[in-house]
Amino acid sequence: MKTMTNTWLPKLDTLSMVTLGMLMALQLVLSRFSVGSNLIKVSFTFLIVALIAKWYGPWWGMMTAVVVDVVGTLISGGPYFVGFTVSAVLGSLTYALFLYGKPVTWVRVILASVVIAVVVNAILNTWWVTIMYHTPFWSLLPARVIKQLIVTPLQIVLVYWLLNSQMIKMVQARLKG
Amino acid sequence: MSSILFGRYLPLDSVVHRLDPRAKLLLSFFYIVLVFMANSLWSYVILVAMTLGAILASKINLGFFLKGIRPLLWLIIFTVIVQMLFSPVGGHTYFHWAFLRITTLGIITAGIIAVRFLLIIMTSTLLTLTTQPLDIATGLASLMKPLRWVKVPVDTLAMMLSIALRFVPTLMDEAVKIMNAQRARGVDFGEGNLFKQAHSLIPLMIPLFMSAFNRAEDLSIAMEARGYQDSEHRSQYRILTWHRRDTITWLIFAIGFAAILVFRRW
Repeated sequence: MKTMTNTWLPKLDTLSMVTLGMLMALQLVLSRFSVGSNLIKVSFTFLIVALIAKWYGPWWGMMTAVVVDVVGTLISGGPYFVGFTVSAVLGSLTYALFLYGKPVTWVRVILASVVIAVVVNAILNTWWVTIMYHTPFWSLLPARVIKQLIVTPLQIVLVYWLLNSQMIKMVQARLKG
Repeated sequence: MSSILFGRYLPLDSVVHRLDPRAKLLLSFFYIVLVFMANSLWSYVILVAMTLGAILASKINLGFFLKGIRPLLWLIIFTVIVQMLFSPVGGHTYFHWAFLRITTLGIITAGIIAVRFLLIIMTSTLLTLTTQPLDIATGLASLMKPLRWVKVPVDTLAMMLSIALRFVPTLMDEAVKIMNAQRARGVDFGEGNLFKQAHSLIPLMIPLFMSAFNRAEDLSIAMEARGYQDSEHRSQYRILTWHRRDTITWLIFAIGFAAILVFRRW
């Protein structure tokens, strides 16, 4: 299988390419499901971002993050803004830097999740909202920080659980074979 | 559930619906920039007129646009209130207590921000309501083509995206089926506190993931059996054509954009 001759990205065989497409579909599906109350809603798209980063590394992670963010925003009717694409890319990059080709330990998962929570979700995303709608940054930040304090532990546990689950190891063996 | 994601497209027959998706995508990206550029009363009047014109041309009921605003309503209200309470000194002061004051200038600023909000949300809703997801994907893939020069695997990404869009409805149906099957066995989705709710999603996630991976395996074997080798050396069946109406729409908007730049306070 000669896949992609004209690129500097790691080569993918057909199965890996289709799997990435399927994971993107799962991400779009999971973005529609959320748990929690009206005040705090958590969706589980970060699980797919972490999984793609773990299996396919930073480059494919960032590429798919861009595509899913742009398409996901456009087909759900939300207002598109480049900043959130940048956030998605940085989130994927962070997961990949901590998890790609490395064992999934508590320390790695916690560090990756905390970096994403602080840099991407608390600071950057609040800043984007400020740029887009002129919402005052400092009055919006506290609410977002409180949300992250509750959500981040949940994310840490779920990412650790998913990436170490028997199912993921089984599928990983099938993808490599 | 499945109606949420793909049911947003409204199959009506209007000028806006028939426009080339590339034209619409570029316009809606450009529009956001324009909203940032507009800062005077007249530039806003032009912007509002152009947006309303586009909405009327799409023949879509205004109610659908109001639905698009709902998820961001709390942010709009919050922003407007904060802007009013911390308004700068200017014009008549209506209310003053410690560092909180409401002035004419503050009310005008808050009004402009509310209009900005509505404009941005309405145009993005317009794009979604008038364009099929597959057309959005084809349009994006076509717009990304110049990135080949910096060796971005555009064709492979386009292939992944079309696989993803094709399987969103399938996986959505599957998710609903699995949820019902687990409910029939006693799982309570959406009950209890946050952690309990997250825990109850495990019986949904594991089967959903497995099913997705099985589908990926089957599909990749079927694709190779049909002669798929790579995403580059292929031809295209879905071809977008740029019509005269696309050029005319762009001309109309370009004039509007130029007018906004003229009326902008630099």
